[in-house]
Amino acid sequence: MGAVKKIRTVCRSCHGGCGVIAHVRDNKVIKVEGDPASPISQGTMCSKGLAITQLAYHPDRIRHPMKKTEKGWERISWDDALDTVVAKFKSVMDASGPESIVIGQGTGRDYESHLYRFANLLGTPNVLTAGHMCYVSRVGATLITCGNLPVADWHGHPRCIVMWGCNPQWTNPDEHKGVDFWSAYKKGAKLIVIDPRKGFLAKKADLWLQIRPGTDGALAMGFMNVIIEEDLYDKDFVNHYVHGWDAFVERAKEYPLEAVESITWIPKDLIRRAARMYAKTKPAILQWGVPTEQTINCTDCTRALVGLMAATGNLDAPGGNVFFVPPKVRSVSAFSRHKDLAPEQRKKQLGGDQYKLAARVALISPKAAWDAILTGKPYPLKAGLLCGTNPVVTRANAREAYAALKKLEFLAVMDFFMTPTADLADIFLPAGTWLEQNHIADNWKRHGYALAREKAVDIGECWQDHKIFMELGKRMGQEWFSTVETALDYLLEPSGLTWEEFKKVGYLKGEMAYHKYRQKGFSTPTGKVELLSTALEKWGHDPLPKYTEVPESPVSTPDLLDEFPYILNAGLRTPTFFHSANRMIPWLREIRPDPIVEIHPETAKKHGIAAGQWVTIASPRGRVKQRAKLNFGIDPRVVVAEHGWWFPEMKEEGHGWDISNINILTDNAPETLDPVMAATNLRVCLCNISPCEDQEEMNGWRN
Amino acid sequence: MEKLTLMFFKKECMGCHACEVACKQEHELGIGPRLVRVVENAPDFFPIHCHHCANAPCKVSCPVEAISRNERGIVLIDKGLCIGCKACLEACPFGAMQYDNATETAVKCDLCIERLNHNEAPACSNACPTRCIFWGVAAKLNEKLEKPVLSG
Ligand code: SF4
Ligand code: SF4
Ligand code: SF4
Repeated sequence: MGAVKKIRTVCRSCHGGCGVIAHVRDNKVIKVEGDPASPISQGTMCSKGLAITQLAYHPDRIRHPMKKTEKGWERISWDDALDTVVAKFKSVMDASGPESIVIGQGTGRDYESHLYRFANLLGTPNVLTAGHMCYVSRVGATLITCGNLPVADWHGHPRCIVMWGCNPQWTNPDEHKGVDFWSAYKKGAKLIVIDPRKGFLAKKADLWLQIRPGTDGALAMGFMNVIIEEDLYDKDFVNHYVHGWDAFVERAKEYPLEAVESITWIPKDLIRRAARMYAKTKPAILQWGVPTEQTINCTDCTRALVGLMAATGNLDAPGGNVFFVPPKVRSVSAFSRHKDLAPEQRKKQLGGDQYKLAARVALISPKAAWDAILTGKPYPLKAGLLCGTNPVVTRANAREAYAALKKLEFLAVMDFFMTPTADLADIFLPAGTWLEQNHIADNWKRHGYALAREKAVDIGECWQDHKIFMELGKRMGQEWFSTVETALDYLLEPSGLTWEEFKKVGYLKGEMAYHKYRQKGFSTPTGKVELLSTALEKWGHDPLPKYTEVPESPVSTPDLLDEFPYILNAGLRTPTFFHSANRMIPWLREIRPDPIVEIHPETAKKHGIAAGQWVTIASPRGRVKQRAKLNFGIDPRVVVAEHGWWFPEMKEEGHGWDISNINILTDNAPETLDPVMAATNLRVCLCNISPCEDQEEMNGWRN
Repeated sequence: MEKLTLMFFKKECMGCHACEVACKQEHELGIGPRLVRVVENAPDFFPIHCHHCANAPCKVSCPVEAISRNERGIVLIDKGLCIGCKACLEACPFGAMQYDNATETAVKCDLCIERLNHNEAPACSNACPTRCIFWGVAAKLNEKLEKPVLSG
């Protein structure tokens, strides 16, 4: 047995960022530990990251390229695999143009720079990501409102924290991790929690607002109404730095608290107290999460939240929501060569005419992709390359996603395991985990850091995603780099460091300055915070934030209530899983063996559902099964279900993708999407519940 | 010698299970035994863990004296002696004693004695994002629990 070598690196089991020390012996990672010197995680780690060795060395992991033949999957060489993809892409491009190739990824995993470069140099504007309803949608909406994403400044001594549909300790919060929130909170900050479910934070909160799922936009306008009515806003700021304040004030008047109470189900006095607390306790952070984005209100809700930050003088102020200064490294967008996508190709972007904000941040809606494949309109997508994504489980209206990917003429996937999506592919390209890659992590985030993720080991024939894009790109005749590391040198060039030097430094941080707008204004057309958006105006949309009722709800579709009386809050996050990942990891699956649907005990009783029983959850689009957990901390009118479930232990094709997959129930009809961002309504619809008839079968099928 | 123990400030446990996985990794345990285990009864979480009891019921119950408490107060099980009768599993009032099918022996928290010997904190306490896992001299921990502070 050789000696143990310790390698400092950076986790990516969620969006990543936590510092890790990997213990390597005989070219095998035997253990990982938190890195106490990490500015992001300060030595802590979560269950997902700590379980990486069970993922990396999992017996089911695909460790070499594969090709689907009539006899099933067969092992092939990298040359064979890459040549197959390139030959197919070239023939599709010759016949139908590069726009008939869709390139896709799931949640942000530090390879968007390489993925976009490949797509742009290929000439396809059709990049499919999770960004339409997660994070990038937040970036897009803030971009047109205040020029950049305002990020929580935990180290700036906030006195008040509004946790809005967000649980940064359980799940990935982007930017900074839960540990920073926790230390700010422990220093005595007031805590306001907006969550339909009484969780750990709600229990700790000074004020807990139990909101009706999907109505965050109305609540934000209600807060604003109080702040304006009670004269709690920062006059100097709004006078000098807000575009359209008067119009915005008029709009906020349309949201008196009586109305907001009836929309959100939150007592108006509680809304008033929360709005006052946020406006009066300075500085204050507003940390918001994806539930606010995964609705038809995505853009408007984000813009209203920025309105709150601006009106209270917490924008770019220490301890508020700030614009961190990036370190001196080349940006993801420069590396991606967005400028090299020809204008005539850009014009062909699916849905680009309609979803202007999505087009602005260079992505398409999954609905547009599925429609193009299934209907051939406006033109058919023929081939695809999907990287680290499992849309048949994670995108709304999963059956449509499944049918579309199945119909695609040619599909290549990059992943660790044979997932339900990979099952539909023709070529499998085995990607390396974060233990198997050299990369500059986190530089796409907006917290001012770039982190060195150093390779600890190689496993099988797996390649890091960056290398796969690069080698494919070179074979397509694109301009790339000789090695992964020379590309990193190029990214690092502005800092004066090489990759070898950066590895030793560990991380770079941009030098922070606050109140930058006082010198430079905001990066918007008017130079101000555009509560009245010139971009939305130009695109022919309502330039002021408003609340649109959830498309399928007791208010919008009362006729459905007889059959589907409950609001489904689809997408409960759990600490051990990240979206559809990790279901095959023994340590994590032991903790959460089954998909869980949370039901209020009174509601459960009505349907004869006992704790631990399997429940059929049905919506107008289908039905799935999850196991009941009774929870007094949710509204009896709401049912909360986990997302991302498939069953890696089922070895046949599909891996049980349609048994518990909550997205079989969610909707993606065009009228349910955010009108500029195409955000999918992945969170809220109507449902019904009943005990499964086949309890015994369900209990036994996993064994 | 002053006696050491492990304590969880339950009110600050947010149920992330990082401690469980850190412990499994440190002790190379597979599915089954959970030396620390966090039970959820939303919105509360209850970490179940070894208290390294004085006069430990597990130790008393063991018919072959496989369990001992060392001079630092750490209750340890000698796997070589354990006959797998599970008497200790029944005796432990906290449910902290575990059984490992792989070795057919009882298995328990050893307060990460290997790590302590190298001046490292127990694996669970190292990972915990809310810093609610404390270890050290039992008497001093009681004070700390009244007023938990963040390290660093
Ligand atoms: S790591 Fe800490 S917060 Fe997380 S479950 Fe364990 S004791 Fe609770
Ligand atoms: S295993 Fe149980 S009885 Fe034995 S020392 Fe630990 S807590 Fe006490
Ligand atoms: S002290 Fe060590 S052995 Fe005991 S629960 Fe914590 S990690 Fe496990």
